[in-house]
Amino acid sequence: MLINERLIVLDSQSRDRDELIRELASLAYKDGKLNDIDEYIEAVLKRESEYSTAVGFGVAIPHGKSDSVVEPFLAFARAKDIDWNSPDDKPVDIVFLIGVPEKDAGSLHLKILANLSRKLMKEDFRNSLRNIKTNEDLLDFLNKSELGF
Amino acid sequence: MKILAVTACPTGIAHTYMAAEALEEAAKKKGYDIKVETRGSVGVENELSDAEIKEADAIILACDTAVPMERFEGKKLLNVSVSEAIKNADDLIDRALNAKVYKSSTKTQEDISKTEPMKKEPTGVYKHLMNGVSYMIPFVVAGGIAIAISFLFGYDSASNEGSLAAYLMAIGGGNGAFGLMIPVLAGYIAYSIADRPGLAPGMIGGMVATQINAGFLGGLVAGFLAGYIVLAIKKYIKLPKNLQGIMPVLIIPVLSSLSTGLLLFYVIGKPVAAINNGMNNFLMSMSGANAIILGAILGLMMAVDMGGPINKAAYAFGTATLTAAVGTGSEIMAAVMAAGMTPPLGIALATILFKNKFTKAEIEAGKACWVLGASFITEGAIPFAAADPIRVIPSLMIGSAITGAMSMAFKATLAVPHGGIFVFFAVENLVGYIISIAVGTVVTALVLGVFKKNVAELAAQSK
Repeated sequence: MLINERLIVLDSQSRDRDELIRELASLAYKDGKLNDIDEYIEAVLKRESEYSTAVGFGVAIPHGKSDSVVEPFLAFARAKDIDWNSPDDKPVDIVFLIGVPEKDAGSLHLKILANLSRKLMKEDFRNSLRNIKTNEDLLDFLNKSELGF
Repeated sequence: MKILAVTACPTGIAHTYMAAEALEEAAKKKGYDIKVETRGSVGVENELSDAEIKEADAIILACDTAVPMERFEGKKLLNVSVSEAIKNADDLIDRALNAKVYKSSTKTQEDISKTEPMKKEPTGVYKHLMNGVSYMIPFVVAGGIAIAISFLFGYDSASNEGSLAAYLMAIGGGNGAFGLMIPVLAGYIAYSIADRPGLAPGMIGGMVATQINAGFLGGLVAGFLAGYIVLAIKKYIKLPKNLQGIMPVLIIPVLSSLSTGLLLFYVIGKPVAAINNGMNNFLMSMSGANAIILGAILGLMMAVDMGGPINKAAYAFGTATLTAAVGTGSEIMAAVMAAGMTPPLGIALATILFKNKFTKAEIEAGKACWVLGASFITEGAIPFAAADPIRVIPSLMIGSAITGAMSMAFKATLAVPHGGIFVFFAVENLVGYIISIAVGTVVTALVLGVFKKNVAELAAQSK
């Protein structure tokens, strides 16, 4: 299971990108997905500095490959508008954080990212992510969405 | 319809797949078949087969990285950025079906991405010019024909206030269609460069170019200036988020229009006025010179900027000799008019002789050029000159110079300042005059045939 209800925040109060990434990463750390939170965040921010992971439509998919990741995970946050240097210049309010172990050569997480990206083009999908009320319902929704996990 | 597409982005994580999804959705909506090859971090998925490429009606490349191109030889190919596909997939499908055929002899995708890795779409001066010209053509044709009809009532009947001829002149002339011609040219060049925010400063710049008598060449300058100024403003002026709303409604239009307009007045305006003055003085000093050489010089001047400072000087010189020669007609005026008729006439002939060197729109506009040229409406040549100034203007100048020189050699005279064939009754030695115009027309067309490149080549070059 890549995601569970402990990796979901529906009302993040983070005010900027780095704060939000740290907030989600610490959830993953508490859940045992990471053994070194700083090293992981560094990997995510390094990736972010190459090319913003904001994809438009208010969505960003930060991700990092690092030895600090114990097992692959996906974390979700719904946030107040955050400036993420998005290609459509819109602020981001939906964030998926992905973590993958460096040694994990498999492409499972990439498949998930690919499927997730395709889903994000659909307005219905984005609306559901914005409107679902509880962590359980959101988890349920993601599991039903055939993202491949 | 069968559409194929390839999507790829530098990281291959998200945009590749978002673009693929957007294209698939858009095609489905139109009822077209589509297959999208994704070249992302997972590797190449859904790879296009040679058979599929052979059957496809059009190919869309939505890639920010290099992808293999040879396989698309001879197919209609549209090359855009990934983000374009995410934003305007619908539009891309239509554009792809009208796209140019890909030839691998031109620059490959690899070359492009090596030299300009972040460049979104192949741009090019040619593309911007063509956009401006294509919007300008209807104004030239409508205005030119209206003026020509007005001449039917007599070359100066437009001066009768309230007459139909006067209204036709008002519709077609400098206060109507011809007045809009250069603003539209400049506006849509800027639009092509900077999108919608470019239109206002471009059109305003075009209007300023008209005011300073800079002609269509001034209009080209105004269009490019406005377009790139808008791009620069968007890039370098960053407002706090709560003020961003005023960028498109206030900051961009005001700043870009003022800077375009003021640059034109201060930087372009003075030299233009100086050229006009200098040319006037130069012609005065030529008064006693060899008549044939003077005719050739007037011809060159009439064709070089069509409505710009040099053309205006030559025309003013012609009309001045008219007042000096009341009753007898002027050889110089005759040469000026003849040389002003050959550019549109030569182009009209060239669009028939060399169809592959003109776009479809140009070939259509070429038909109107017969009427415009015959009516001494030199402006008919402007869309062609604006689209490809470096090759077209010299061709027009050569033809006009020959006509001007021949008209002087035949000692043809003209007693009125305007009207083309409608005032041939006022021409002395009409046979020699017509021969001069015919020879210039044929020469213009032949030189155009030599200088101009095939349309396909030109488009490929600009990539």
